[in-house]
Amino acid sequence: MVAFPLVTVAFAIETVDLTKDYSVGFWRKRPRRALDRLSLQVERGEVFGFLGPNGAGKTTTLKLLLQLVFPTAGRAQLLGCPLGDPAAKRRLGYLPEQPYFYDYLSAEELMDYFGGLFGLGLSERRRRTNALLDEVGIGAERRLQLRKFSKGMLQRVGIAQALLNEPELVILDEPMSGLDPLGRRDVRGLILRLRDRGCTVFFSSHVLSDAETLCSKVAILAKGCLVASGRLSDMLALQVRGWELVVADTPDALVAALGTRATRVVRIGEGRFSLELPLGAPPERMVAELAAAGAKLVSLTPLHETLEDFFVQRVGEGT
Amino acid sequence: MTSLGWIAVNGFRESVRDKVLYNLVAFAILLMGASLVLGQLTAGQDLKIIKDLGLSAMSIFGLFIAVFIGIGLVFKEVERRSIYNLLSKPIRRHEVVVGKYAGLVLTLTVNIVIMTVALYAVLAYVAWGENEFARQARETPALDPALLKAIALLLVQLMVVTAIALFFSTFSTPILSAALTFGVYVAGYFSADLRNIDQVVDSRLTQTLARGLYYTLPNLAPFDVASQAVHGLPITAGYMAVTIAYAIVYIAILLVAGSAVFSRREFK
Amino acid sequence: MLSRLNGGTRKTSGGRDLRSTSVSSVVVLLSLTVLFAAAIGLQVVRDTRYPLPATTEESLYLTRQAANRIAFSFRPLGADLYWIRAIQYYGSRKREIDAASLAGAKTAAPSPGSRPALNYDLLYPLLDITTTLDPRFNIAYRFGSIFLAEPYPAGPGRPDLAIALLEKGAQAMPGKWEYMEDIGFVYYWNLHNYPMAAAYFNRGADLPGAPWWLRSLAATTLAKGGQRSASRLLWGQMLESAADERAREAAGRRLQQLDALDQIEQLQRLVDAVAARTGTVPTTWPPLIKAGALRGTPVDPRGAPYELSASGQVKLSPQSPLFPLPVEPTPYGPTS
Ligand SMILES: Nc1ncnc2c1ncn2[C@@H]1O[C@H](COP(=O)(O)OP(=O)(O)OP(=O)(O)O)[C@@H](O)[C@H]1O
Ligand SMILES: [Mg+2]
Repeated sequence: MVAFPLVTVAFAIETVDLTKDYSVGFWRKRPRRALDRLSLQVERGEVFGFLGPNGAGKTTTLKLLLQLVFPTAGRAQLLGCPLGDPAAKRRLGYLPEQPYFYDYLSAEELMDYFGGLFGLGLSERRRRTNALLDEVGIGAERRLQLRKFSKGMLQRVGIAQALLNEPELVILDEPMSGLDPLGRRDVRGLILRLRDRGCTVFFSSHVLSDAETLCSKVAILAKGCLVASGRLSDMLALQVRGWELVVADTPDALVAALGTRATRVVRIGEGRFSLELPLGAPPERMVAELAAAGAKLVSLTPLHETLEDFFVQRVGEGT
Repeated sequence: MTSLGWIAVNGFRESVRDKVLYNLVAFAILLMGASLVLGQLTAGQDLKIIKDLGLSAMSIFGLFIAVFIGIGLVFKEVERRSIYNLLSKPIRRHEVVVGKYAGLVLTLTVNIVIMTVALYAVLAYVAWGENEFARQARETPALDPALLKAIALLLVQLMVVTAIALFFSTFSTPILSAALTFGVYVAGYFSADLRNIDQVVDSRLTQTLARGLYYTLPNLAPFDVASQAVHGLPITAGYMAVTIAYAIVYIAILLVAGSAVFSRREFK
Repeated sequence: MLSRLNGGTRKTSGGRDLRSTSVSSVVVLLSLTVLFAAAIGLQVVRDTRYPLPATTEESLYLTRQAANRIAFSFRPLGADLYWIRAIQYYGSRKREIDAASLAGAKTAAPSPGSRPALNYDLLYPLLDITTTLDPRFNIAYRFGSIFLAEPYPAGPGRPDLAIALLEKGAQAMPGKWEYMEDIGFVYYWNLHNYPMAAAYFNRGADLPGAPWWLRSLAATTLAKGGQRSASRLLWGQMLESAADERAREAAGRRLQQLDALDQIEQLQRLVDAVAARTGTVPTTWPPLIKAGALRGTPVDPRGAPYELSASGQVKLSPQSPLFPLPVEPTPYGPTS
């Protein structure tokens, strides 16, 4: 076994050449690579986004870290401890993808049970249960059996239980999925509060905006391979690549005039148009023109490069 | 409380919430109905028959609980993916296996204890209305404490059956586990025949094989001393001790094997 | 031991999965071997040192494999079910036969070759299954044999089967002197074979725990077998040792039948005397009452009036619960 250098203790998560093959096929089993030599380092105190399209291998990576599946090759450490060490699990929180809990328990009882597994005393379990369920916005329904919970409510309970032990590291598999806009905002706030407490947050997502608003660093995975990692701003040419302008009550003449400059014109409704403008044309001037022609400005949004665009680009470069 | 204790108590709570204890109502109705009807049908044998009926019903009800909950213990957790959360807590996998086992044993014990109380209550009621001649004709006292020995061994037997069911459920589906568990249960009852097979067949190989099976399959027949207890035959303390020791060792075998399998499983 | 941790992850050849928390296979195999050895040792100790008292006869187990396999752990309960069926069968048959005889149907005692339509053919198989499923079913042997030996119409009149059933019980529980006593009774009462009866009483008396009077019963049987006084003694003992209300009732009925026999003899003497005195044979009771020979219509111990036939024979009423009276055994021994 290769000893880890001392300096890796500084990492909350470190993987070296982590690889996972699933065997598929009913009769003739053959390996199918879900994760290919992933080497990743997540520093303490970071909010780290683990991004990738569906089937990229994000969940696989998280399951490997939690020892729910075992690596085909490579190794990993959590908080300086080898995988599977209960000492590390004591300091760690985990939210699985589509969490399911014992549906015969109420939210409160579930939190109490898990608190017990962490060895917390009765009063401490009570205190944290109440505080965390308040924090994720589960109110009086906490006394209800979980079988009566909606998907989003379960997701909230899942987040609350991941924080029961006041972890140093939380690993969240798609924490925003199933949440309403309000819930997403709440979870975003929660992650930032965790960061402020010095907790490392490692979460997977395929929604770029989540990463943009939260992460100091991201890693991008596609088809089991790491295609990029580092600071979001360094990595992506995520600078604005144009503008989207929505106008109403537009005179026909103006539309024709604008059409020459816009890369795309879409008619939304009576007199309403959505125009895509390239970077070259400064939007401030256009807005002034519109006002002069009597059109109403509905919205002006910067157009970013999407994550998918980025994948296409990077995976294309890689091959 | 240890993690193991928490898992056990949660397992017990699950069976209570899943209304497993309702079978006690069925048991009580069966016994009380029997005690009312039997007096009119039998010639002063009500107490023997109620004892037989009570012990057999305990055995059947217990068997169903042991098998049908036992086979789902691990499977349900994996199937519904609640295992992901459980294993992210600071516990080891064998603690899950042993804790789940302890939870079901707790459920079984509570069941058997309540059934025992009900059985003795019905026996006391019937004995109270008994006439002088029937009292003299009985081989054993109405509230014979020897029944407790039979019930204790029955509980121990059910604990072995639970361990069998749990062992299978660590790697196979519930239906397959149920079939395998019932298979082992029946084989366990006839394993004495395997020992005596040399009187029936001549083939050396078959004899050796049968003897090997006799010693490796769980031997469940020795736990069944209901008929000895009902007829007031002696069940020695030595017999009880060796039989219980055998059960403990066999349960340990199953739990070690089950834990080993479960520790190597992937939850894809 | 189980919780030993390998730490970290290991690289294995051939791309096999790496398991890190799992206990090393060697440790598992080792502990399983040790445990299996212990299990085998315990089995051997139990088989050799602590035999359990057998409740099944080995030979029966082999011959009745099928029944026993189906029932395996629920054999006693099966026995209970069959016992209930046997009692119900006997009781309902007896009622049907009584009803038929009241209705005037011909229900002659079964003679070889002609068997009544209403019979007790299933009684023995039911009792046999009961006692095979639970060979220690004491009451099934004792009551079963009483039912079987009972002459038609109160029973099938099969003392041979009654003895066979009791012998089966004696094989399952060799210490039971009661079975010897019961067999002796069948020989005495139903087969009138007094030497055999005495032999069985003696065999019973030889068994530990047998009551003192069994020996003297044997002696009386040898000396005065078939005499009413011996019968009275027999049934008197039976009444005293009755294990159960039914047995007690049966013995009481036998004693009352003996009383009835005495009374019939007395009445016959009276009737014969009146006939000799008056020269006419009385065929009803009132003339005798008027003559002052009787105070009222004579009744048997169960309260049913005795009947007087056309030829002046005193008879038990067929409606009496004591009907039919036993055939008086042929006296045996020095007095005969
Ligand atoms: N149990 C399994 N057996 C075989 N292949 C699997 C298994 N689980 C996942 N895979 C494969 O591994 C690859 C990675 O899957 P994974 O679940 O890690 O993706 P993901 O990045 O989490 O996707 P998503 O965003 O949809 O959750 C996929 O190609 C998938 O088909
Ligand atoms: Mg996923």
